[in-house]
Amino acid sequence: MNGRRLSLFIALRQLWERKLLNSIAVAGVSLGVLVLIGMSGMMQGFQLKFLSEILRVSPHVTLFDKELRDRPRMLEAVYPGPLAAQVRREQPTDRETRIERPRDIIAALERMPVVTGACPTLSGQAVVTFGAKSQGIDLRGIDPATQEACTPLEQFVVEGRWRGLDTSADGAALGLELAEELGARLGDRLTLVAPEGDTYALQVVALFATDLPQLDATRVYVSLANAQLYLDRPNVVGTLEVRLADPEAAPEVAARLERMTGYDAESWQEANANFLSLFEMQNIIIRLVIGAILVVGGFGILAIQIMIVLEKTRDISILRAVGLERRDILRVFLLQGLVVSLVGALFGAVLGWRLLEFLSTLEVRSEGLVKSTTFLVNKDPMYYVWGVTFALLTGLVASLVPAWRASRVEPVEVLRGRGG
Amino acid sequence: MTAAPQPEPQPRPALEARQLVRVLGEKVKTEVLHGLDLVIGRGEFVAITGHSGSGKSTLLYLLGALDRPTSGQVLVDGVDIDRLDDDGRAALRNRKLGFVFQFHFLLPEFDAAENVMIPMLRGGLEPAQARRRAEEALDFLDMSEYARRRPDELSGGQQQRVAVARAIASDPLIVLADEPTGNLDSDSGERVIALFERLNRERGMTIVMVTHDLAFARRARRHVVLKDGRVVS
Repeated sequence: MNGRRLSLFIALRQLWERKLLNSIAVAGVSLGVLVLIGMSGMMQGFQLKFLSEILRVSPHVTLFDKELRDRPRMLEAVYPGPLAAQVRREQPTDRETRIERPRDIIAALERMPVVTGACPTLSGQAVVTFGAKSQGIDLRGIDPATQEACTPLEQFVVEGRWRGLDTSADGAALGLELAEELGARLGDRLTLVAPEGDTYALQVVALFATDLPQLDATRVYVSLANAQLYLDRPNVVGTLEVRLADPEAAPEVAARLERMTGYDAESWQEANANFLSLFEMQNIIIRLVIGAILVVGGFGILAIQIMIVLEKTRDISILRAVGLERRDILRVFLLQGLVVSLVGALFGAVLGWRLLEFLSTLEVRSEGLVKSTTFLVNKDPMYYVWGVTFALLTGLVASLVPAWRASRVEPVEVLRGRGG
Repeated sequence: MTAAPQPEPQPRPALEARQLVRVLGEKVKTEVLHGLDLVIGRGEFVAITGHSGSGKSTLLYLLGALDRPTSGQVLVDGVDIDRLDDDGRAALRNRKLGFVFQFHFLLPEFDAAENVMIPMLRGGLEPAQARRRAEEALDFLDMSEYARRRPDELSGGQQQRVAVARAIASDPLIVLADEPTGNLDSDSGERVIALFERLNRERGMTIVMVTHDLAFARRARRHVVLKDGRVVS
């Protein structure tokens, strides 16, 4: 038997003899790992669900006009030719943003390998009324034939046909919550009040339901041509929506598209920066809480091991007297720290797994940022890997001081003290 | 023409102390041993006696490579312990020395056989082999039936016999005993001394025993008396 096996033999026996004491240290580590797995699973479950829903219904990059462009001045329209005039006040509504030559840009974008789709859109605010009910809406004009390549919305249709936007002259697709709020059903005719005050008839050709309640409560899709009519922006494309093969590459691609086209390009991360920074903040807080619990667990190991080292000074001396080297003693106590943390980590991992399993079956109706009927949990195996790794590191670090102290015991000083 | 007979080579002493000085204490320094010389041959049974503070335990720890001299030399089987590092001295103790202390110093978590096995396991023996030798040592000391008992299930005398078994099981060159009977009743003390006599006689083991008890000291083949850190007889 070599020194390593002997150290393990002694370490395990001493641990077993102090089951109650060591089980307290094990419980501390278990709690840390349980919290790490449980909290990570819950936080990531919600965040990943939200982000995946956002990615399903939103473009990865949106191109829009950088400069506000003047409309032809009214005086120039009335008095053609040279004119000395100064516009002293201009309102935002006097300006309009647009993508020039959108077809050429779309064609160029679609030739890029990183791009899987590019679509023209025009959006604006309007009001729809149905009977006595009115509701402010987010109006989106799209090309139903090509939009699927950018934001595959057809999969969310729960009633009617998405392509009805193409085939019906005044077809509109409504979010299910909006329709319920208005009391409108498939085939009903609504009235759209445009920003300029003009009214248009809309026929409900499709109802859709995503898992994003905010979108379902406000969004109305119409054909691009109709949107241009309703918003009084004939032939204008307001934004280009771009879908990428790798959504994570959106910031880099957006920067590249800005340089290429001269328009502003916003990645989905930029568009949802408020949520992402909130999630990041949540994650930092959770990591701090987990770290604090693991540190407390580590202090448990540290305190118990220091106590054991003080109590076992005589035994350490005798082991040194019969030939164990300093590193054998060091190893005994490091192994004890590692075994305590490993057992704690395994218990914590099993408890964490059971907790996530339980939570994932728990019926909780959520209508906040994302819609869900169960607790949103993510069961990434990496949580267990991190949990066990952090626990082992904690055990190792916590047992370093007691182990080092044990290895420094001078047998002769102890024996002289007792032997006379 | 025949060659002249060569003289028999002298066996190397088991232990040798040369001009040994040991100063103890940090703030108040006390010279416990003053240039002590002592040679202990192989197979000797030596008792060291002296009053409290005479330096006998300090000498024993130096001879056992548990401590380092302030000056002078300690040779264990010809090896100068001052030339060895900490691990080297630990290895030397494991291979050549066995210790018996006044307080048995058995490890409470291990049974008698396991306590005896530990030095042999550190020496590299496989567990089965170490257990066999531990059981032989316990048998030699009439302790076979107690092999599976833990220290707290044994009497003081039995515990000390287990400590003796631990010291001799790996068949060391030298057994160093520090007041081995000091914590025992007279019957148990007698048994331990009888064991040392037997080990010395039957196995030729070198035994160095520090004791207060002059009656037991006289049982040794050689009696060294220390006074104020020097050998006086």
